[in-house]
Amino acid sequence: METADVRVLLAPAISFACSGLVFLTGRSVFWRRFWSLGAAALKFVVVLSMLPAALTGKTFVWNLIEFTPGIGITFRADALGMFFALVSSALWLITTVYAIGYMEPEHAKVRFFGFFALCVSTTVGVAFAENLLTLFVFYETLTICTYPLVIHEETPEALRAGRKYLAYTLVGGACILLGSALTYQIAGTLTLSRPGVLPAAADPRSLAVLFVTLVAGFGVKAAVMPLHGWLPSAMVAPTPVSALLHAVAVVKVGAFGVLRVVYNVFGIELLKRLGYTVPLAYLAAFTIIAGSVAAMFQDNLKRRLAYSTVSQLSYIVLGAALLTPAAASAAVAHIANQAFAKITMFFAAGAIQRTTGKTQVHELGGVGHQMPWTMAAFTVASLSFVGVPLFAGFITKWYLSVGAFEAGMWWFALVMVASSLLNAAYWLPIVYLAFFKGPEGQEVQRREAKPVLLVPTIACAAWVVVLGTTSDVPGMPFALARAAVEFVFKM
Amino acid sequence: MWWQWPHWLPLVVLVPLGAGVVTPAISRKSTKAAWVWAATAVAATVGASLPLVIRVAQEGPFSYTFGGWTPPYGIEFRFDEVSAFAFVVAFLGALAIVFSLRYAPHALDEARIPYYYALLLLNLAGLIGFSVTGDMFNLYVFMEIISLSGYALVAISGERIAEMAAFKYLVLGAVSSLFVLFGIGMLYGVTGTLNIADATQRLSVVADTVPVAVAVGSIVLGFMVKAALFPLHVWLPDAHAIAPSPVSAVLSGLVVKVGLVGMLRLYQVVYASRAVDLVTLNRLLTWLGAASIVMGAFFAMFQDDIKMMLAYSTISNVGYIVMGFGLASRYALVGAAVHIFNHALIKSALFLSAGAIIYQTGYRRLSDLRGVGRGMPLTGAALAVGAVSIVGIPPTAGFLCKWYIALGAFEAKNAAFGFALVFGALFIFVYYIRMLNAFYFQEPVRAEVTHVGDPPLSMLVPMWVLAALCLAMGLAGKVPLTFIEPVVTRMLAPTGG
Repeated sequence: METADVRVLLAPAISFACSGLVFLTGRSVFWRRFWSLGAAALKFVVVLSMLPAALTGKTFVWNLIEFTPGIGITFRADALGMFFALVSSALWLITTVYAIGYMEPEHAKVRFFGFFALCVSTTVGVAFAENLLTLFVFYETLTICTYPLVIHEETPEALRAGRKYLAYTLVGGACILLGSALTYQIAGTLTLSRPGVLPAAADPRSLAVLFVTLVAGFGVKAAVMPLHGWLPSAMVAPTPVSALLHAVAVVKVGAFGVLRVVYNVFGIELLKRLGYTVPLAYLAAFTIIAGSVAAMFQDNLKRRLAYSTVSQLSYIVLGAALLTPAAASAAVAHIANQAFAKITMFFAAGAIQRTTGKTQVHELGGVGHQMPWTMAAFTVASLSFVGVPLFAGFITKWYLSVGAFEAGMWWFALVMVASSLLNAAYWLPIVYLAFFKGPEGQEVQRREAKPVLLVPTIACAAWVVVLGTTSDVPGMPFALARAAVEFVFKM
Repeated sequence: MWWQWPHWLPLVVLVPLGAGVVTPAISRKSTKAAWVWAATAVAATVGASLPLVIRVAQEGPFSYTFGGWTPPYGIEFRFDEVSAFAFVVAFLGALAIVFSLRYAPHALDEARIPYYYALLLLNLAGLIGFSVTGDMFNLYVFMEIISLSGYALVAISGERIAEMAAFKYLVLGAVSSLFVLFGIGMLYGVTGTLNIADATQRLSVVADTVPVAVAVGSIVLGFMVKAALFPLHVWLPDAHAIAPSPVSAVLSGLVVKVGLVGMLRLYQVVYASRAVDLVTLNRLLTWLGAASIVMGAFFAMFQDDIKMMLAYSTISNVGYIVMGFGLASRYALVGAAVHIFNHALIKSALFLSAGAIIYQTGYRRLSDLRGVGRGMPLTGAALAVGAVSIVGIPPTAGFLCKWYIALGAFEAKNAAFGFALVFGALFIFVYYIRMLNAFYFQEPVRAEVTHVGDPPLSMLVPMWVLAALCLAMGLAGKVPLTFIEPVVTRMLAPTGG
């Protein structure tokens, strides 16, 4: 059931307006904070207010403008889009609080908060895109808007990372543009509101080219190996940027795009027949393992987080590629599960850096005594990644394994086991180091992070537990993920 | 209705032409008077061209015959959707003249200023005449008015390097004009008429198509030099970079399009008459278009002068348009035709903001201009909007053409060129990002550029009008696309005509 409702437009428009106001009046500290926090809260409320309707199967639509004849910039909040929008608007609010605390000693704060808001605006635009062209419009805008954030430090290293980021993502964008044009040529429509638009009778060669261009295009931001090179370099950005953009917005936009391609452009039935997703599943499994292995060897905490992101994102890709309902629920739910756990870790890493100046893993001995709350939150996130039950990550691993058996490819369940072990191997040593090893010959003093950094960290960690324990409670995010899956599988 | 008054059509050419001729006489005493006169004339031209666009949108193409002599004997002006270029010319011309209020006295000797405005008005008159004429010989005459005033405008600063650039421009321009004239002469020889509509009809029954093919080839060659398609582009970068910035905007945004609007005119004739088969020519143009995109970007990467970069970027954009012509499918042609208009807006926005930067700081090299975005926030932002638009980030105006030509490439079953276009366009990113990096994110070399301040309003307003249009024409892309579509529909109609 579709209803016209302006709230789907408001959600991206609020943060767009916010960025304009920040650019205009942001020289004043008060107004900069006022607009950033106010818009983040307002936007979260707007998205949340659409949740009850989305859970009952209603979708809201708003046609903004006819972009080219027949194809509009149209917003549509279906279950999948709502899920993603809810995650990103909730995290924007939390990250804004954190960023206000974290960025205090930094330069160019007007630019930072202005583009920060723009990025979230475009992320929600991607979530609510009704058609592939609208999605592409916001996808590319996001690329451009994140650039000033990635190179915020303006050091030669940051500029190099920025160049690398643009090179990867713009090539990806070009692929998506071509894929969209080809989709339009084959299907005559670009809508994402159906479970698949491509006709089964289309030329299989074109379909193969289309699958490769679209998945490769979105795969760049989803950091599927070998397209992941930009992500670890982009860690030079300030921590709130890494947190929101490189654990949530930018990379999830890629993963979300893959979901859209699999579920709404090709559709489950067509892909089952074509079998293109099998190699994709292998690639994702490889990325899961290889990303984790690479993470083990990183001493810089943020780089370790980056490789862990590479590995975790491929859970979503794998879930999509298995083409079974359970795997699909895992894929959708992991958008939230990974986001909250990863952002907790980034917040903790940033808090440690700001409070103690430490950025390398080997320096972290005893930091748990210094900052017990921060490291407790970090531990919760670690356990979630390892896949311990009652934490969010377990939900993903469970459903993904079920999905692997459903698909008759049980060996992917082994990948889950291997990944759990690897995650344990690179997260738990940090926990061990922090709590059970004191820095030698020094007296440890308790020096917790500032509340403005600490509270968001703990809030996210708490939510990881909530996500891990409430997957069957109606009205919780997982119900939304189920609704999305039911639509895709026409259940 | 007021817009149906038939005499708007001749007025739109005669007003700038007449005003241009008398400008030096009027402003003997004061250069201010020259500006007031030129601004009034160009405002009147905008006013006269607006009803024409309304009329063509409402009623479709229409004609005007001078002195009641009906074609093919009389002289005909014919206004179709492509002729709406005349409105763009008048509009951009107006903005360039407003911009010149403060720029011209800064860049030129006072004695030359009246001539500057006179030449600018003549140039605009030529451009408008070129887009509305229905007669092949007049087409040539207007083209020469454009070219001659163009050479003079490039040289007007009187500096030695400007004279060199103008001379290079003149030599190649004259040769290309000869090719066009030769082709027109051949067509006249074959058909015995100079009226375009009449010639179209007669061409469809011509038995011997060899001379027609030679004529078409010769005209295309001439036009492609004017359009600066690679490898015929050598005259363009110096001429466009050295001219005063408002002139660069006119040259790059409008004058280069003479070749492209001319191509559209020629194609209208050839497609409608089915006189010659264009498959081979189109294949060549598609390849050259692709080469032009890549090579334009390649050369631009090595430039340090910002206006030089912008000039090379024009070559890439001409490549888009010519590739669209060459693909010859519906979407590709619509995209190419719309990009003629959109590129005019975008490139003018870029040249005007670059001009403002040069005016305020006195520097034109990227290495000197590091950090200027902080010193001139509004100008830098306008330039950034233009840059984002010209590299084709959606939803700006520059994206439409990429999207449509990519669609067109698939439609023409020529997917490889879709790939070439979209990936070729990525090269263009490289130097625009370099430019934006320098303006915003790099350590200033010259400390003073970070606090020069924005230019006066007479410069800010034109560039921001254009920057806003870069966004608006992209968001409301439906408007230009549906406007131009009937032309392509007529061109590709199976019955012709």
